[in-house]
Amino acid sequence: MDQRSGFERLTLPHLDAAFNLAFWLVRSEADAQDIVQDAYLRAFRGFHGFAGADARPWLLAIVRNAAYRWLSNRRRSANVVSLDEAFGSPGDEPAEMQIASDDPTPEVHLMGEVDRDLVHRALAELPPIFREVIVLREIEGLAYREISRVTGAPIGTVMSRLARGRRELRKVLSRLMDQDKPHAV
Amino acid sequence: MQCNRARELIEAYFDEELGGDDRSAISSHIASCASCTRLASDIMRTSSMVAGLGRKAAPAALVSRIRSRLDAEGREHAEPPQVPWQMPSGVVWRQAAVLAACCMLSVLVTWSVVTSSDQADRLQQEIVAAHIRSLLQDSPIQVASSDTHTVKPWFAGRVDFAPEVKDLTAEGFPLVGGRLDYVDGRRVGVLVYRRRLHVVNVFTWRARTDTETAPAFSNKNGHNLLIWTRGGIAYAAVSDLDASELQRLQTLL
Repeated sequence: MDQRSGFERLTLPHLDAAFNLAFWLVRSEADAQDIVQDAYLRAFRGFHGFAGADARPWLLAIVRNAAYRWLSNRRRSANVVSLDEAFGSPGDEPAEMQIASDDPTPEVHLMGEVDRDLVHRALAELPPIFREVIVLREIEGLAYREISRVTGAPIGTVMSRLARGRRELRKVLSRLMDQDKPHAV
Repeated sequence: MQCNRARELIEAYFDEELGGDDRSAISSHIASCASCTRLASDIMRTSSMVAGLGRKAAPAALVSRIRSRLDAEGREHAEPPQVPWQMPSGVVWRQAAVLAACCMLSVLVTWSVVTSSDQADRLQQEIVAAHIRSLLQDSPIQVASSDTHTVKPWFAGRVDFAPEVKDLTAEGFPLVGGRLDYVDGRRVGVLVYRRRLHVVNVFTWRARTDTETAPAFSNKNGHNLLIWTRGGIAYAAVSDLDASELQRLQTLL
């Protein structure tokens, strides 16, 4: 039971972070709960192998894997395209290439007030590999090094995904704002 | 700093992931470049908008759900349920372990018995064969001497040990000489004694272990064979002599 209490002491403070990441990856609160539960169980089973000081990146990496597993199962059962094609496996470039090619996309300048709900929708529209780095950076405030530990991608990849993800986010935001204007008027 | 370079680093700058030199270079560039200033403000705005979303807080019930899952996990591993009609898994594992251990033991014993008896048998065959070969040749010896002080030094440098050489003429086993042979994959020294018209080959080699073994008698194709180990040296006496006479030689050596 000593191990159990040690596990709870190290991991339960990060429950909100874990749930938040799971939620943003699968975009459903109910599914995020199942994923986090599954991830905590897996983390507990692997706890004796955890020797680090900071449990958060370790735990979030397990949550992330559980979420991707869930996404891949859902895709498979829905008989849709393969996981790799849709999201790109960690360290894989193609998915990023589809979204933002190497030639610089025109910058979008955001004008006016942005509704909170709009930000939510815009972030939800991004592919998971960009969504996760933005969530980990902007909401969780993780350093690049920690994001790299969670996602298993090198720091350089983390940087480029963040840059592209943010650029995409600005584009989506400005598009959503344009769509919303008629309603606002 | 060029705009292109600044745009590559600007994210890292706002994320506070840039080192000293780049940091000051980019901040002075942003201050002097209108388009980079605009980009910087967009980045900061989006950043703060997303940060403003805040965490999706975990439902209060999630902690207790996790705890009960961990409890169940702990029970599974700590104390298996004692259901009467179902054999507790601990016992099954123990039995399986015992069974596996028995199988393993039996395999090992069989293997060691088979291989060791095989090995012993092969050694006996080889020694008898070497003995017969020596009789087929003109002479079973390479160094002919009844003098132990001639035979013993002859082996030096030819085998990796110093065989004990005794002349047993007085006991009716005159030493004829010595030779080298090849038995069981190694070079062995052979002392050749004579008893009346019978030739006795005594093969000697360095034993693999220091364990002493009592003379083991066997008979192969009419040849009597005694094998023993003493003082780290293995001996194998072979001859068509009567078994009791061979045993007598063994006690003399």
